[in-house]
Amino acid sequence: MGLIIFIDLGRNMVSVSSIGNSYAQNSVSQKIGTIGRRVYNSIPNTVFKKDYWIDKIAVMGKKCSSAEQRLILGVTALATQPFIDAHNKSVDEQTRKVSVARTIAKIVAGTLTGFAIRKGCIKAIGAWSKKAGDVDKAGNLIKLTKLNTFFTPKGKLAKDPDAFEQYKNALGTIVALVVMMFTNFLIDAPLTKLITNFLIEDPKKADGGKKS
Amino acid sequence: MKSPAKLFDEFKTVIYKNYGENPGKMLVHTGVLGWILSSLAQIAAVVFNDKISKEQKVFLIPQEMADAAANIISFYVVTNSVKALGSKLVKTGKLSTPKILAYLEKTGIPIKSKKGIESPVGKWDFDITKLANFDEISKDFKQFKNGVDVGASLVGSIVSSNIITPVIRNEYAAKRQKNAIAKMKAKQMNNLETPKGISLAEYQNIAARHPYSSGLKV
Repeated sequence: MGLIIFIDLGRNMVSVSSIGNSYAQNSVSQKIGTIGRRVYNSIPNTVFKKDYWIDKIAVMGKKCSSAEQRLILGVTALATQPFIDAHNKSVDEQTRKVSVARTIAKIVAGTLTGFAIRKGCIKAIGAWSKKAGDVDKAGNLIKLTKLNTFFTPKGKLAKDPDAFEQYKNALGTIVALVVMMFTNFLIDAPLTKLITNFLIEDPKKADGGKKS
Repeated sequence: MKSPAKLFDEFKTVIYKNYGENPGKMLVHTGVLGWILSSLAQIAAVVFNDKISKEQKVFLIPQEMADAAANIISFYVVTNSVKALGSKLVKTGKLSTPKILAYLEKTGIPIKSKKGIESPVGKWDFDITKLANFDEISKDFKQFKNGVDVGASLVGSIVSSNIITPVIRNEYAAKRQKNAIAKMKAKQMNNLETPKGISLAEYQNIAARHPYSSGLKV
């Protein structure tokens, strides 16, 4: 009997302490939430008044596909990553040099192939996702076939032109990722190796030896 | 059981519904997938590069692995958070256009606080998309929101992939390199054998077998 009371008391003590903990956690998260809301609410509202900026933002939403994203990421990566690697004092100088060379090689190879393959696949999906009323460059109505409507979604889905463009971008990117499962090994990796070796070779040495 | 053609149609519908009206989400999801695949290839590139020394590989392979993990996690967390913040700014009216404000005024929502009446525009709990007559502005609103979403996704991906990731992976890889080199040195020390001594009798025997060896002349 005494043992049962002891166990029961222990259980109660655990549950009381866990209630206390969860209450304290809720209280802290509530306070953080309230502070966050106050900070958010205190930020002044911004209105884009110029049509130029509104159009630019709308165009970015419509036209910026994963290919453009990859290109922007690559260009900004070249401006930041080699600099970060070059200032990494945790490793010796030789390793730092190889690390910088590899980072540059990786960015160049990855951006070139990533952009080209994404762009190509999105274009290919576009060519095979025609819908009624589409015209060619000369303005002639495109005749719909099984092949050029292969990726066109069924039903009324293709009626919203903006959403349809995004659909083609998304599907093109997914296809590009499948293609890149192979090109990563066939193009990216050897190209990265080639550029890395080119960058770590000493141009001053006639025999093409490595920097000591 | 569904036919492959039916499954393909369903797949196209899923892609259209999920990403057709949400390009920012598509950029985040495909970005994560892209990082996973390219990281695998980059690790293979270091492993099979003969011109990189063993010591450097000890640094570069963990660097690639750390790069992959940090890239994928930070890309998803940072990019998704920045994108969500961008969406929130537009949905609450914190960021807006004259057309959106005109619509709100027409709906009877005060766009500025006046005479004790506080405007809900730009406040955390306000959501333009929940308004009853949202359809009137939905086209302009979606165009603006999609643009902000994509811009926010780009900013998030630049910050995560090009600033946060390189710093994290360098710290992590340097620690791994130091540990690995220390282990390699310890192993070499364990394998070292003390040079054995040689007795005079053994030396004379060797010298007798190699009478013309200058080094072994007594």
